[in-house]
Amino acid sequence: MSDSPVTREIPHVRVWDAPTRLFHWAVVILIFISWLSADQGLMTIHLCSGLTLLALLLFRIGWGIVGSATARFSDFLHPPRKVVAYLRGLAGGDRQLYAGHNPAGGLMVVAMIAVLLAQAMTGLFSNDGLHFTGPLALLVSDDASTWLTTLHATIFNVILLFVWCHVVAVGFYVFVKGDNLVKAMFTGHKPYTHVPADAQVFFARSYVAFLLLLLVLTIGGVGWFIIQGGFLL
Amino acid sequence: MSAPAYFGGVTVVTALGIAAAMFLRPAFGHTVLQWIGLESIPQAAPSSFYTVRVAPLLEAHCTSCHGAERQKAELRLDSFAAVLRGGKHGAVVMPGAARDSSLFTRITLPVTDDRAMPPSGKTPLNKDEITVIRLWLAAGASGTLPVKAIKGAPALVVPVKMPELDLAAVRRQRAPLAHEVSRLQRRFPGVIHYDSRSSADIEVDASLKGAAFGDDDLDALVPLRDRIVSANLSGTAVTDASAPLLASMKALRVLRLMNTKTTDATVQALASSKTLKVLAVAKATPGTLAPLRQRGVRVYEDLDVR
Repeated sequence: MSDSPVTREIPHVRVWDAPTRLFHWAVVILIFISWLSADQGLMTIHLCSGLTLLALLLFRIGWGIVGSATARFSDFLHPPRKVVAYLRGLAGGDRQLYAGHNPAGGLMVVAMIAVLLAQAMTGLFSNDGLHFTGPLALLVSDDASTWLTTLHATIFNVILLFVWCHVVAVGFYVFVKGDNLVKAMFTGHKPYTHVPADAQVFFARSYVAFLLLLLVLTIGGVGWFIIQGGFLL
Repeated sequence: MSAPAYFGGVTVVTALGIAAAMFLRPAFGHTVLQWIGLESIPQAAPSSFYTVRVAPLLEAHCTSCHGAERQKAELRLDSFAAVLRGGKHGAVVMPGAARDSSLFTRITLPVTDDRAMPPSGKTPLNKDEITVIRLWLAAGASGTLPVKAIKGAPALVVPVKMPELDLAAVRRQRAPLAHEVSRLQRRFPGVIHYDSRSSADIEVDASLKGAAFGDDDLDALVPLRDRIVSANLSGTAVTDASAPLLASMKALRVLRLMNTKTTDATVQALASSKTLKVLAVAKATPGTLAPLRQRGVRVYEDLDVR
């Protein structure tokens, strides 16, 4: 027998599919680009990042219906009392395991999608009063566009608050609970000890994601053609 | 790591993040400090040079983009405190140094410059307005310095504000006589008009009717007599028989009777009018006109002042 120390790798279980992970990190990058471009007055870049974000959000909503098990809203949307019970258990040291998002995390996902969707939608109707006008700004009155622009700026502060909450919560799992959610969102795998033994994780076929993305891009393309062609004015 | 240690660390990191943001964005820093009461909010005195001369210019040229509704570059120029606070790119006002203040340099750039303010398409500040801003900055960008303390400022131009036309109120004023006016306008086309769009007063101009307009026709206007402010009867067939009616017009200010058969009798009848300001007559003796002239009525003889 050898006396050398044996490093035993804990088996990992695949929980996140590629589309969900790509969506997550793309959103992180796009939020940063959107903020930076608006701050520097690079409005063409801001428009592109905003439209891309909108397309990804629509994709994510579709993926939440037809995607893999852990990406589905039905997997991570729980009634409020269950969210409260989960948080109480967490504070008391009793942590329930979930393959995908836990009830609190699921609530954060939905809230984040809603607020980002509101941000992208208000951006379409906004204007900066100078050189930039959102693609749909001419469909509403000046006053409405100005109001939506103010709302667009306000929602950004809400997004910052949500991002802060999200990062603090993830840090709590990583540093306090020893559950590296960041790594899992990169690799798609979690240690099996962090996944319920009876978890039924299934994965949607890649072509479903491809078709969904194609559908979103087609809708976006047709919408862009209609707007740019002035058919709505 | 324990939960208390983690959340303690989060608190420290968050506080450091906010402090860094306050340092990098002084305007945000001032807002936070003023909000929590650690910094007083600067106020401008109502009679200060800023309030009387500078604030109206900012309101006219800047606050549509840098005001309550919209804050381009996170800059507001709709209050003294906000002006001093500055925006995303720092302070816009350097007290005592106009040429170092972007509030001044931006408004003096050529309109072809992308950084020029107000941006192209909006009305730029004129020379006098720029001088006002420059003098205020050079004098220390004070909120208390009175108007007279800053010498050399161009004279204050106070824009005239026209009252908004309340058409509903005009309609209500005209309503009691509207039917009569309408009827008489049909009977005497082109003779009866309202004084203006905003008035229920009436002008009568029968001069183009000539001899076809006589005492009987003028008598038909009796229902309108309290509203008639001007009557041009020059060249008509009106005679002294209409003098009582003309004298009973309580609002009559202008009366023209050139080239008519009216005489001193009509002038004497008008002597008691308290509203008449202008009278043009063909035949009258100086002694008859004297009382009117003494009252300040402008009297014209033997010429048509139309």
